[in-house]
Amino acid sequence: MENQTAIVFPGMGPSAFADVGRFMLVNPFARNLVAVADDVLGYSLVDAFREAEGDYSEAAQVAFLVNCLASAHWAREHLGIEPDVCVGPSFGEKAAIAFAEALPVHEAVRMTAELARCMDDYFSREHTDIVTHSFVRTPEDKLAEILAELDEQGEWHDISCYIDDGFYMLSLSETRVAWLESRLRAIGGLSLYTMRPPMHSAAFAGLRDEVEREVLSTLRFADPKLPVVADQDGTLLRTSAGIHTMLLDSFVRPLRWPDVVAALERFGVERVCVAGPDSLFGRVGATTRKFAVIPANPRIAMTPRRRSKAA
Amino acid sequence: MWDEKFEMLLRGYLTFLSPTEPLESDAQLRDLGLDSMGMVELLGNLEDTYQVRFLDDALTMETFQSPSVLWKAVGSLLPSAAG
Repeated sequence: MENQTAIVFPGMGPSAFADVGRFMLVNPFARNLVAVADDVLGYSLVDAFREAEGDYSEAAQVAFLVNCLASAHWAREHLGIEPDVCVGPSFGEKAAIAFAEALPVHEAVRMTAELARCMDDYFSREHTDIVTHSFVRTPEDKLAEILAELDEQGEWHDISCYIDDGFYMLSLSETRVAWLESRLRAIGGLSLYTMRPPMHSAAFAGLRDEVEREVLSTLRFADPKLPVVADQDGTLLRTSAGIHTMLLDSFVRPLRWPDVVAALERFGVERVCVAGPDSLFGRVGATTRKFAVIPANPRIAMTPRRRSKAA
Repeated sequence: MWDEKFEMLLRGYLTFLSPTEPLESDAQLRDLGLDSMGMVELLGNLEDTYQVRFLDDALTMETFQSPSVLWKAVGSLLPSAAG
């Protein structure tokens, strides 16, 4: 196969209401999805998102899901994107599952809200000092030295995301972040962001079990209508069981974006449409070196487009 | 004041600054569209262009606060800065 198109639903980053609010109120795809979400949530998603504090509130997470899905539908209609395969790194799994129709949209909304509550509850009592810190420009051998120093200090750590050469996200105690930043700077590394809640570590097996019991057991997954690439190892998923496993694995296994890129290449993908607010997956060299990247997001969808002249 | 290469390079990452608008020395680069990945790319480009290596205190988000702060950081790394 060649000349295939993938749709990529990005992982969640901070997405301010000011940047996407108008899209949610005006874009027809977004409005339809917001109406579904309002019905499922029992409150106004837009109002809750506008008033929410913090980057990862329940409303912010559902809004991100809605904006990614609406961006994908917009790309289909306005950019002619017809994907052959889809993938959603980290949070993007939820949108990929809904887009591939392994869950109906209203159930994907419910799942997203319930997972947000479940994670909030879990991290309010477990691993209360753990964060996930992202950084770039850190060669693998240099990172190994830093991790060995953490070991010597008796400090727990785990790589949660492999994004690109020298680009990682590391979970560790919040009290060691300042030390880590300083060590990274000394070798030419640049720290980007510290996330709480943390994510993707074998240490969170308790969360995976709670999620399985309290959320996933209430959902009925269908086989995806579009193949989905697992973001942990690039496995091509075509069954409901595979989707279920990917969702659970996401809590305890790291995201490996280079493996996803390799899997997309094997699938014959030559272009990827990144659907939703993204400042990472469509931008890193791992993606741009291999594929033509077509961004589809609320900002682009809201930019007035010049009508093509009739011949 | 910075040189022309620096301004051309920097403007490439300031998506919200039109080509006709002046680049103020104290402008907040984030407000002009420089995001985290933009910083990473810009950093690599500055290192290639000026043959310098950002290390230690130069590698913080504060370095990318404004054109003047960033240019000062570049200047401090140039060989002439040591003389």
